[in-house]
Amino acid sequence: MKLTLVTPQKKMLSDVEIDELIVPADRGELDILPGHASLMTTLRAGVLRVRLKGKSELRSAAISWGYLEVGPTGATVLADTAEWPEEIDKLRAEEQYRLAMTRLQDAGLAPDDQILMQNKVLKESARLALVK
Amino acid sequence: MPSLRDMRSRIASVKNTQQITRAMKMVSAAKLRRAQEQIVNMRPYAQRILQVVTDVALTRQVEHPLLKTPSKANRVLMIVITSDRGLCGGFNNAVCRFTEKYIRDYKDAHEKMDFIFIGRKGADYFRRRGIQARQVILNLAREISYNMASKMAETCMNEFTAGDYDEIRFIYNEFKSAISQKLVSERILPIELVETPAEPANLKTAASPTMIFEPEPKFIIEQLLAQHFSTQVFRCMAESVAAEHAARMTSMENATKNAKEMISKLTLTYNKLRQASITKELIEICSGAEAVSD
Repeated sequence: MKLTLVTPQKKMLSDVEIDELIVPADRGELDILPGHASLMTTLRAGVLRVRLKGKSELRSAAISWGYLEVGPTGATVLADTAEWPEEIDKLRAEEQYRLAMTRLQDAGLAPDDQILMQNKVLKESARLALVK
Repeated sequence: MPSLRDMRSRIASVKNTQQITRAMKMVSAAKLRRAQEQIVNMRPYAQRILQVVTDVALTRQVEHPLLKTPSKANRVLMIVITSDRGLCGGFNNAVCRFTEKYIRDYKDAHEKMDFIFIGRKGADYFRRRGIQARQVILNLAREISYNMASKMAETCMNEFTAGDYDEIRFIYNEFKSAISQKLVSERILPIELVETPAEPANLKTAASPTMIFEPEPKFIIEQLLAQHFSTQVFRCMAESVAAEHAARMTSMENATKNAKEMISKLTLTYNKLRQASITKELIEICSGAEAVSD
């Protein structure tokens, strides 16, 4: 099974052979193995894990929101942002996490902003989970 | 016949110009590298998202106004991207002339044509020709951002779904390489589906009638199309910015070369003049001395 992982900023993986892909899908974690039925789903902010062909360990990446399409030949992940653990700035992520948390506690927050901040918290906690 | 002093000042002024064009070339080269990086990183995402949209459309599980091709476009919104500044060769001229021809060809066929001009050059060109713009956006090269593109995309898309327009078209320069740009006229909405489904079973894509959607296809397609459209808008803008820097770099390089040629020509004439005047003086001195000794 081939995996392509792209974001508007860069191409992370392009047609790489993989054995397994675990994504934070709309209704909880999804484990995709070769031969999966055709599927189209949205992804939440969280940790994406991928096992490259012939390897035993999983590689992780923090993603915020996106899409997953699975077809007979492979999978495509279109993420808004995606980072490998080595690309994450831990201090910055911590700071952003705290900022989003405090803003979320603000009672006068508009509903739209509230969703925005909730997503932000999810995104930053995924980044933090990777660097810890 | 110009005097020696005139010649000297002309050479100096050409040298000055050469210095400026060389500096501009350097600046464009640096800016081009950044813009090029952005566009090269952006392209795979834009292509993939189009692929996914096509796949979803081909499953025939969803219906969406953005995916339907109208038999005839009556109300067209044209978004024309040029640059803010000149000195970039035929970059703006190509876009403006093409757009003008397009307007002439389709004026009678379309019942309404509206324009959004991005970049001062295009806006000025068409204002002089009495064509009203609905909106003018300046400073693209400096402030290009995904947020701005998606905001604009959202407005356009809302107008499209409300039925104000039935075609949205972009005219811009596509970045091919540092030395070549290609003029593109692209229909962004409704979305052009590249593959025509002959036999769904034979397709190599993920499209299949049994595709599982999670959550509802309707919900996904709505977001996906919005995302796709803003990506395309951003890509067009980024292409144009990169192409502009490339065009400026090439034309400044040519200008520097021309200045160099001019300097060598002028220097040659200057030296000839100098020699001629020395010879003249020598002859005068010699004949003067001869007259005295006689």
